[in-house]
Order: sequence, then C-alpha cells, then structure tokens
Amino acid sequence: MTTNWEVWVSALLTLGAYSILFSENKFFQLVEHIFVGVGAGFAVVVNYYSIVNKGIKPMTGKGEWWLIIPLLIGVMLFGRFVKGMAWITRIPISLLVGIGVALALRGAVQAELVQQISANFINVVGKTPGATINNLVMVVGTIGTIMYFFFTYKQTPIVMAGSAVGKWIMMVAFGAAFGNAVQGRISLLISRLQYLFGTWIHLIPTK
Amino acid sequence: MNVLRNLDRRVIYVLLFLLVLYPLVKPMGLPVSVGPWTQGSFDYINNLKAGDLVVVSFDYSSGGAPDVDPQAVVVVKHLFKKGVRIVGTAFVDQGVLFANKVFDAWQKQGKKPGVDFVNLGYLAGGETAVAAFGNNPLKAFPKDNNGNDTASMPIMQGVKTAADFKLIAAFATGAPGPSEWVRQVVTKYKTPYMAGLVTVMAPGAEPYLQSKQMIGLLAGLRGAAEYETALKEPGTAAAGMDAQSMGHVVIIVFVILGNILYLLDKPKKAKA
Repeated sequence: MTTNWEVWVSALLTLGAYSILFSENKFFQLVEHIFVGVGAGFAVVVNYYSIVNKGIKPMTGKGEWWLIIPLLIGVMLFGRFVKGMAWITRIPISLLVGIGVALALRGAVQAELVQQISANFINVVGKTPGATINNLVMVVGTIGTIMYFFFTYKQTPIVMAGSAVGKWIMMVAFGAAFGNAVQGRISLLISRLQYLFGTWIHLIPTK
Repeated sequence: MNVLRNLDRRVIYVLLFLLVLYPLVKPMGLPVSVGPWTQGSFDYINNLKAGDLVVVSFDYSSGGAPDVDPQAVVVVKHLFKKGVRIVGTAFVDQGVLFANKVFDAWQKQGKKPGVDFVNLGYLAGGETAVAAFGNNPLKAFPKDNNGNDTASMPIMQGVKTAADFKLIAAFATGAPGPSEWVRQVVTKYKTPYMAGLVTVMAPGAEPYLQSKQMIGLLAGLRGAAEYETALKEPGTAAAGMDAQSMGHVVIIVFVILGNILYLLDKPKKAKA
C-alpha cells in the first residue's frame, strides 16, 4: 500500500463518491461539495488568468489599448447584479449570440449539410457483400429517417412505410447509443478500480 | 423468480464491482481486435514523417478523462516515437491539466519545449476560439502556457493557418468536439482531422467518418486499447479490456433477465 498522502486523499474521496451506491450519507455529501467547489474554483482561476494574460497585460504592457472594448463588453455581463442596470447585459448577450450563430452557420452549411448529403451519393453495390449491405442500410436509413420527420406531409402508404423504416433505424441508433453509454460508464469504473487497487493498495500491477 | 423481482440494486452493484475487479487482478488475456476507426487513425499517424507538425488538442475534463486520457497518452507516444513535432492546445479549461501532465512526462524523457513540442495552454471561447486558432494560431496563442513568446519558437516557424499542420488530433468530452472542429477548421483549411471521444459521443461523430471529414476516431477506453494494440505497446487501456468485457456480460445478463421478468409479468398485468 502506498505511503503517498495525495494518493490516500484521492482514494478516500473516490470511496466517498461511491458510498452513494450504498445509501445517502454525510461522507458522500462532503465529497460532492468538494468536487463542485474545486471544479468551480479551478474554472475561476484559469479564466481569471486568461483575462489577465490575454487582455489586461497586452493592454497595459504593450499599449494594445483597443482591448479595452472587449473587456468592457465582458464587464457589462455583470450588469444584472446592479439594481436598474440589468438592461445593459443585453448588449454583450446579443453580441455573443450573434457572433456564435454566425460562426456556426458559416461552417454548418458546407460541413453538415452539403458534405453530409454528398456522402450519401454513393454506388450502393460495394466491393464486398458486407459493403453493399452497409451502403444499403446507410442510404435507406437516411431516407427513412428523414421521412419519419415529414410531419406536415400527407401520410400516404409510401411515406408511412418510409417512416416505419426510419423509426426502426432510429431505435437501432438509440440502442447503439445506450450500449456506448454502458461501455463508457464501465470504463470509468475500471479507471477507478485500477487507481484504488493498483496505485493505492498495489493489488493490480500498474503500467 | 420473486427473489429476482425484489432484488436489491446494491446486489447488482456488488456483483458488477467484483466481476470487473477480478480480471484486473487476474487478467484473462482476451484478444483485442483493432477496428477500422482506430486503424484509420493509426495508419495515418504511422505514415507521418519525422519533423511533421501536428496539433494535439486536450479538450476534455476530469469527468470523462478515464475514457479519453489514455487515448491522448498513446497517440502522443506514437507521434513522438515517429519524431513528429506537436503543438498542444486546450479549448476546455481542465484540458490544460492533462496537457501539462503529458508534456511534462515527455520533457523528462528529453523532448524539448519550443522545438519538439509546445504546450500553448488554454484559450477560452469554445467554437469561437477554435475558429480563431484555425485562422491564425500565433495570434490566438501569442504566448505558450509558460508565458514564452510563440512567434520566436522554432516549432512555430512557418505556421500561418491550420492548413500548415499535417494533422489535428482533438480529444474531447463535449464541446468543442467534432462538430466544431469540422465546421471551423476541417471544412475551411482541409487539414486532416481525427478525434478521440468519450464512448457516448462516438455514434454521433460517425457520419463525419463516412463523409471522410474525419480520418479516424478513437471511441472511449476501447479505442485507446485498440490503438495500444496496433502500436504493439499494451498499456492501462488494454489491461482494462478483460474487465470491460466482464462488465458488459453482467449488464447483458441483467437486461435479459429484466426482459424475461417483464414478459412473464405482462399477462398478469393485462388481466388485472
């Protein structure tokens, strides 16, 4: 078993986090509060130095005075905490929303519409039977899933059949997503067990 | 059957705990196959030349680190073994912690900061920051994580836009992730891009592989284990794969049992 006090603290906090599986308890609440506090504190410190190093220092040290504009816009976000000044937050929020949407839209049309649609323009008959099946599933699944969302279109038998295919394709996709979620959660458990039984009590050989 | 119907959930936890722990203590040696997503990433990196410049972005937080950190560790290992130079970035605040850990370890092994690698640190702004980096990396990061001027570093000479990198390998647990990188950098600068993601994000990113907007994808701890296997250097991820399989067996058994009980109880509920 290790004598490193940092590992001991980490291991005990891990046990505290897992203690919720047995029942709600004070130890778990303590760990939960520490986790939230450390996370929030870390974010504040990192972002504080980000503003100082990328905004204030170049402004005061290099004479890049125009940086005062984004800094002031940032300060406006705190207007909501001053009585009667809440309206001023609308200016930075509208800028953030406007820039964010414009930036996302600029790339989205090409990256997520044009290229995704053109990726479906394929020869369905592949080099192997497996590739042909994959191509068929992709093309039929894409068309069916889009047809499922024809809410305002008359539900003819063709649309309903396509919609049914789309529904089953989505069910398979949800199943795959759930399987991946399970895999991810088991990975987290494995990592903690490797830490507890490897790094802490040396039952598992660590690499 | 009533025992199963009234089973305390804590029994499942204990069972899962023990069955996941057992193969960690006594490895079973189940084979790890390398899937096409991982192989695509491995092959691309394996064909890079010594001196090529790539970006490794540490866009993950501690919550998803057990899934993603082993991927970043093994990819950086492969890149350095090939003699490739690395520009490290972080667009998630906690990401810089993992970047520091990885680069500090390599610095101790003789890799020189500013020459073999540079750790640029964290840039706030999410997708906006990714776009700014793609447009002008030096302007987005005028200083590295230790406050050194990036423009004078040998590793950054000749870098004007993201098009000057041979590869972007971004490891993410959320945003910015594949959507942001593809929208802001891959589409505009045509830089080859691979992602390392938490397992839950992988199915959502798969369309980018089929459309060839991404050259490869590592999905969770399994992706890291596959990469370690392809590199023929099994590490912590590969060591966890027996446990991963056992964990899945437990979940599958309980899903089947739950469904059997549901089907057995269905006629009774219908009568009631």
